Amino acid sequence: MHEDESCKFAACTFFAKNHPGESCGSNGLPLTPSSITILGRSQRLLTIEHTNLCTYLDIIRGKHERIIVVAEVIGKSLAEYSSKFSYEEIINISLQVTNAMMFLHKQEITHRTLSDDNILLDSSGRVKLFNYGMYYMTNEGNEVPFPLGLPRYLSPETILNGGGPAADVWTFGIILLELCIGKLWKNIKPGPTLRRILTLVHANNPAERIAREHDCLEAYKEIPETVRNLIEKCLKIYPSERATFEELIEDLSKINSKTLEDIKQPRGLMGCKLQYLYYWWQLTGGDIQAELKKNGLIKNSPPILSMPIAILLDGGTIGGKTGALFDRRIAKYSLDLLKNRLSHIPPQDFYPLMHERRKDYDAVALPKIIRERDTEYQFYRLLWFQRLLHGYPYTTQYIRTEAEIDIPPLERGDVWAALLGVVGDIEDQYERIDKETPTPTDRQIDVDIPRCHQYCWLLCGSAGHRTLKRLLKAWLLTNPQYVYWQGLDSLTAPFLYLNFCNEARAFACLSAFVPKFLHKFFLKDNSAVIKEYLAKFWQMTAFHEPELATHLHDINFVPELFAIPWFLTMFSHVFPLHKIVHLWDALLVEGPSLPLFMGVGILRQLRDTLLDSGFNECILLFSDLPEIDIGECVKESIDMCRISPRSISYRRFTNEPEMKDPMDIVEVPLDVLLSETCSRISLADFFSLTCQDKCCVVDIRSNLLYEKSCIEGSINVPYSGVHLGQHELKSLGAHPNKVLTEAIRQKKIIVVASAEDETAQLFSDYLVKCGVSRVCVLHGGVSALHTHVPSLFGVPKKTAHK
Amino acid sequence: MTSETLQNTSKTFEFSFPTCTNEELLYKLEVPVQIPYDGSTRELVQRVLKMFHIPVYLEDELNEKLADFVSKETKNFHNERDAKLIDQFKNNELDVECVIKNWEKQFKENVVDFAEQKGTSDEEVFAAAYHKLVHSPALETIMQVESSYAKTVMNMLKNRDEDIQKLTQKQTEEMEEKMRLLNVSTTEEEINALAAQHFEQQSLAAGRWDSQLDALRHTQRATHRAWLMTAINEYQTDERVTPSTSPLSALPPEPLAPLAPRLEESFTIHLGSQLKQTHNIRLVAVDMMDLCSGDRADGGAWSRVQPALALYSSELSGAVLCADARVRSPQLRAATEHHFADLDAQLRRIAEAVEEPAGRRNAQREGGARARRALQPGDVFVTRHSNLAEAHVVFHLVVDDDSLKSGDITSRHPAILGLRNILKAACCNDVTSIAIPLLLRHELTEEMTAAWCMRRAELVLKCVKGFVLEASGGGGAALRTLTAALPAAISPALFAALGALLPTIFRVSGPVRARPQPE
Repeated sequence: MHEDESCKFAACTFFAKNHPGESCGSNGLPLTPSSITILGRSQRLLTIEHTNLCTYLDIIRGKHERIIVVAEVIGKSLAEYSSKFSYEEIINISLQVTNAMMFLHKQEITHRTLSDDNILLDSSGRVKLFNYGMYYMTNEGNEVPFPLGLPRYLSPETILNGGGPAADVWTFGIILLELCIGKLWKNIKPGPTLRRILTLVHANNPAERIAREHDCLEAYKEIPETVRNLIEKCLKIYPSERATFEELIEDLSKINSKTLEDIKQPRGLMGCKLQYLYYWWQLTGGDIQAELKKNGLIKNSPPILSMPIAILLDGGTIGGKTGALFDRRIAKYSLDLLKNRLSHIPPQDFYPLMHERRKDYDAVALPKIIRERDTEYQFYRLLWFQRLLHGYPYTTQYIRTEAEIDIPPLERGDVWAALLGVVGDIEDQYERIDKETPTPTDRQIDVDIPRCHQYCWLLCGSAGHRTLKRLLKAWLLTNPQYVYWQGLDSLTAPFLYLNFCNEARAFACLSAFVPKFLHKFFLKDNSAVIKEYLAKFWQMTAFHEPELATHLHDINFVPELFAIPWFLTMFSHVFPLHKIVHLWDALLVEGPSLPLFMGVGILRQLRDTLLDSGFNECILLFSDLPEIDIGECVKESIDMCRISPRSISYRRFTNEPEMKDPMDIVEVPLDVLLSETCSRISLADFFSLTCQDKCCVVDIRSNLLYEKSCIEGSINVPYSGVHLGQHELKSLGAHPNKVLTEAIRQKKIIVVASAEDETAQLFSDYLVKCGVSRVCVLHGGVSALHTHVPSLFGVPKKTAHK
Repeated sequence: MTSETLQNTSKTFEFSFPTCTNEELLYKLEVPVQIPYDGSTRELVQRVLKMFHIPVYLEDELNEKLADFVSKETKNFHNERDAKLIDQFKNNELDVECVIKNWEKQFKENVVDFAEQKGTSDEEVFAAAYHKLVHSPALETIMQVESSYAKTVMNMLKNRDEDIQKLTQKQTEEMEEKMRLLNVSTTEEEINALAAQHFEQQSLAAGRWDSQLDALRHTQRATHRAWLMTAINEYQTDERVTPSTSPLSALPPEPLAPLAPRLEESFTIHLGSQLKQTHNIRLVAVDMMDLCSGDRADGGAWSRVQPALALYSSELSGAVLCADARVRSPQLRAATEHHFADLDAQLRRIAEAVEEPAGRRNAQREGGARARRALQPGDVFVTRHSNLAEAHVVFHLVVDDDSLKSGDITSRHPAILGLRNILKAACCNDVTSIAIPLLLRHELTEEMTAAWCMRRAELVLKCVKGFVLEASGGGGAALRTLTAALPAAISPALFAALGALLPTIFRVSGPVRARPQPE
C-alpha cells in the first residue's frame, strides 16, 4: 500500500484571535475567548457526514488559544499531483467536488477556503474536501487573526470585503481552470494577484482574460467546449449571474463518463468507524500534538522570550508575544500504533454476535476510570455497544444489562438516551416547541446560565449558552405544571454536554429524566416533595451510618441545610461534569432510589471529618464540598442500595404506580414520616428477608404477649424494660446483646416489631443511637404480620433462654 | 477581511391560503423574517402556525414555502450586496488601494506562505542550546562555571563596597579634622572646596568600579555564551561527550551552609465550585528582595540549578515587587546576566517603550499636573532575569505608597487591579509560580498594626482568589504555587494569625486519612 494511504487522519492548527485588553461583553461578563467560540461552532461540523467530505474527528483547544482540528484524510491533495489530469478525470473530480459543495451550501455552510490543497484525491479517483469548515467555525473569519483563503482563489466581491456562498462558485471555477491550463498567478505576491483579479471586473469574459494574461489562450481554446462553458459560468463577475452548484452538478453529470469502481468496504480494523479508530488510537497513546511538533507546526518558543515588558492598568500590554503565523500545512497520522496494539485480536472479534456468550475481559475488575482508558477494553465495549445500539429499541434489556457494567464514554449520549427510553421522532416533537418567544422566566435563566458549569469549554461559549436556554425554555413550556427552579440549568447541562449537536435528544433525555428521578420536584410548591425526600435520605443515613446520623442529629445539622441542591439537581450542581456522568451512569441503571444512597455515600466519605465537627464546621464544609471520590461513592451507594430492602426507601411522590397490596404498603402521613428516625419495612420485604434468613427480629412487646405467640426466630426485648438513656447494647441483657451482636456481625437487617408504632420508633431510634446499622421497623407491627402471614408465628423455644 | 459585519435586513414573508367555505376568499399572512435567518425555518413555521391559528394541513406547504423564501432571500441578500460592491468598485467609489493594502498586510503578517522568511533569532538559538545543555550531564559544569562567575562578581562588589567605605572613612576623618580647625586654620571656602573634592572622589571611585564591573560582566557574558555555543556543538555531534572541558577548572563542590530558618507555612487549596483546581499557597516571612536577590549567599552552585532548569521551560517563576512611578532598578545585587540584557538596559528600554502608550492613556485620563508620560499606580513593568534565586520574571507593580499605608483600601484600588493584571499575564505567559507581597508593602512600618495586617491580608487573599479563578479560565498555564510573602520582621504571633486566616478564605485540602479497610 502507498505510504500516504495508510494515514487515516490529519491535523492542522492555528491560533484564535486574542481579545485586546480589558474588554467586557454587554452583560458585564468578560468576553468569551475566541477559541471557545470556535470550539462551540465547530461541534456541528463533527456531525457532518458526506462521501465527498473528510469527516471531522476532533477539535481540540490547546493552551494559549490554540485550536487543533483533526479530520479524516485520504490520498493526496490536488496540489501534490504533479501530472496533468485528463479531461475525463477533471470532469469526474469536479463532479465530486460540486457534490460536496452543494451539500455544504444546503447546510448553509460557506467554504470560502476551497483550494487545490484541500481537495484530496486518492488513487481510486475518490475526492474528499479537507477542512471545509474553517470559515464556518471561525464565524466567517472573525475569530482568527489571519485572513482565510488563498489570494488567487478569492472572488472579486470577497476582495472587496463582501462575498456570500456564491464566492465558492468563483473559487471552484478558478480551480477548474487551473486543472485545465495549469497554475494561475504563480510566484506573484498577494497584492498584485488581488489587483489582477479585481481588474477582471471590467472583462467580458474573465476566464478568457485570465488565460490571455497567462499566455494560455491556445490551451484555453483547446479545452472541450462543455468544460469551458462550465468555467465561464462559474467565473461571472456578478454573483447573481454565476451558476449554482446544483446547476453545475446537472451539467457535469451529463458529461461525466467515468464511474468509480466500488471499493470493497475493508474488513477488520479498517472497517470500523473512523471516530472509533481515532478514539482507540488516542487511548493507545496517540498524541496529536507530538506529531504537530515534529512537523514544526507547533513551535515552542520559550515563554520567557516573549514576556510583555509592561502592562497598563487598563490591561493593555506593551511588548511581548507577536502572533504566530498561520501555517496551512497539515500533519498526517498513521494508525500503525493502533494496528500493532490490536494485532492479536482475532478477526471474528470485530463482529460480535448478540446472542453469543461473550468472554470476560480481565479489565472488568479495574476501576471505571482505568477501564475507560484501556484500549482493548474500549475496543470490545464500543463494538459491542455499537451492535446493541443498532438494535435499539429492541435491545433495551441488553443495553441495560451492559450499562450496569459500564458505559463507553464515546457512546454515552446514545446509551443514556436508550436507558431513558427515548424513542420516536424526537426532532419533530422538539421542532414544534416554541423556544423563542420571551417568557417571564427568561431573565432568571439568563442570569443562571453564565454560572452553570462554565469550566466546561462547550458550555461556556455562546453556542452552549444559546442551546441551554432553548432547552430550558422548551422544557418549561412542555411542563406547564412546573416552574423554573434554580438548579434546573445544572440538571440540563449533562444532557447538553453529551448531545451538544443533538438538541432534540438532549431535550428528550431531560424530559424522560425528570419524571423518573425528580417527579414533582419542580412544582411551584415543592416543599412536601423535598421534605419527604430529605426525610427518606435521613432515614437511609440512619440505616447505613447510624453513628454519623446520631452525631448530625445531636448537633442539629439537618439535611435541609445542605442536601437540597444535591437532590434537586441530582448532584449535577455539586460535581463537575466528568463526575456527574459516572454518577448518572449508575443512576440511570439502578433507578430512582439510588440518589438517596449516593447522598449517604458522600456523607460516608466525609465521615471522619463530620464526626469531628460541630455545627459551624459542618456548614463551612458543605458550603464548598471537598473532593469526593466518585468511583468509590458510586460503588458504595450501589452496594447500599442493593442490600436495602426496596420498601425502606419507598417514597410517595414518585412516578410509579401506587402500591395496592397491603403486603407492600409502607406509606405513612408526611408528619409521621418526618418524626421517624428509622424507615419502615413492608411485610412482603420482611417475608422475603426471613425466608433468606437475612434479618434479626427484635420483638419489643411485653414478655407475656411474646410468650403467647411470636415471630419465629425473634428475640424479645420488652420495651418497658429498656433504659433509653443507656446507649449500650449490653444493657439490654446478655441474650439480646449476644444475638444482636451476632446479627450485626453477619450484616443482618434488624427489624423491630412491636404492637404500637410509637414504641417501635423509640426503640429503633435507641438502637441507632447505640450505633446499630440496618435497623428498620416492621410496618403495621406484629399484628399486621399476624393477619397476613400467620405461618411465620410460633411459640418461643424456652431452651433458648438458658 | 469581513471587517464590516453583515447588516441583517428584514424581509416580509407573504403567504395566503383559501378559507374552507369560500375558495375565492384568501387569508393573507405576513411574517417579517430576518435575512440571513440564523434559526431553523421549520421552527418558525411552528410558531407561525400557533400564533395565527393556521390549520395544520398547511404545515407542509408552509415549511416548504418558508424554506424556499429564506433561501431565495438569503441568496438575494448576498448577491445584491456583492453587486453593489462591484458596481461601486467599477465606478471608482471604493478606496481599492486601501483594501488591497489591508489584504496584503494581513497575508504578509499572518500567513506563513506569504510572510517574509525569518530565521530563528539568536535569542531562540541560544535558548534552545542552553535548555538542552542544562538538561544534559553538562549541568553540573555549567552550574559551577556560573557560580564561579558569580563569585567573581560578588567579590568585586565586595571590594567595591570596601573600597568606597574606606574612602568614605578617610574623607570623614579629613573632614572632621578640617572642621575641628575651622576658624582656626581653615576657612569655610576651604571646607566647601574639600566637600566638592570629596564628592568628586566618590563619584570617580563609583564610576571606576562601575565600569570595572561592567567590563567584567561583559567579558563573562561573552565568554560564557561562546563557551556554551561550542559546548552544544560538541554535544550535538557526539552525545556521549560531556562538555566538561570548561574554560575554568572544575571547582570542588561547596559545602552547603544551612539557611537561616524563616517562618514558613504551606497549604494545598482547592478552588472552583464544581471543578476543583488544586493550587499551593506558601506563606513566608521573607524580604521580597531576598527572593529576588542574586544568590543565596550560602547557596553555592546548587541554588541556581532550579532556576536554570526552568528558565526556558513553560514553568516560570515570577515575583511581584512594589515600585514607584519612575522606572528604575530596585537594589538588586546580582551576578552577571548571561541571558538577557542587564537590568539597566531593560529598564531603559521599558521607559522608552511605555512613554508613548502611557502618555496617550494619561492624556485621555485628563492627567492634569501629573507627569504626562509616566506610569501610574496600578501599571506594571516587567523585567526578565536569569540570575535571581527565585524568580525569572519580576513584575514591578507601580504603587502609591501613601495610599497603601491607609488601612482601608478596596478591591478597586489600583494596586489590586494591577495584581489582577499580573496574575492574568502570568497565566498567559506560563508563569506557574509567583510570589506576591501579601500586605502590598515590603517593610513593616508603625501604622501596620496586627489588625491592619489581618485586614489587608484578607482583602488581598480574597481578591487573589477571584483573580486566580478568573485567570484560569483564560486558557493559559495554571498557576501552581502562590507565595504570599510577609515582611521578614513580622512577629511569629501575627504570622500564626495570618496562617490561621488562610483556611477561612480557601478550601484547604484536608489531611489524608487512612481509612480502615473493611475486613
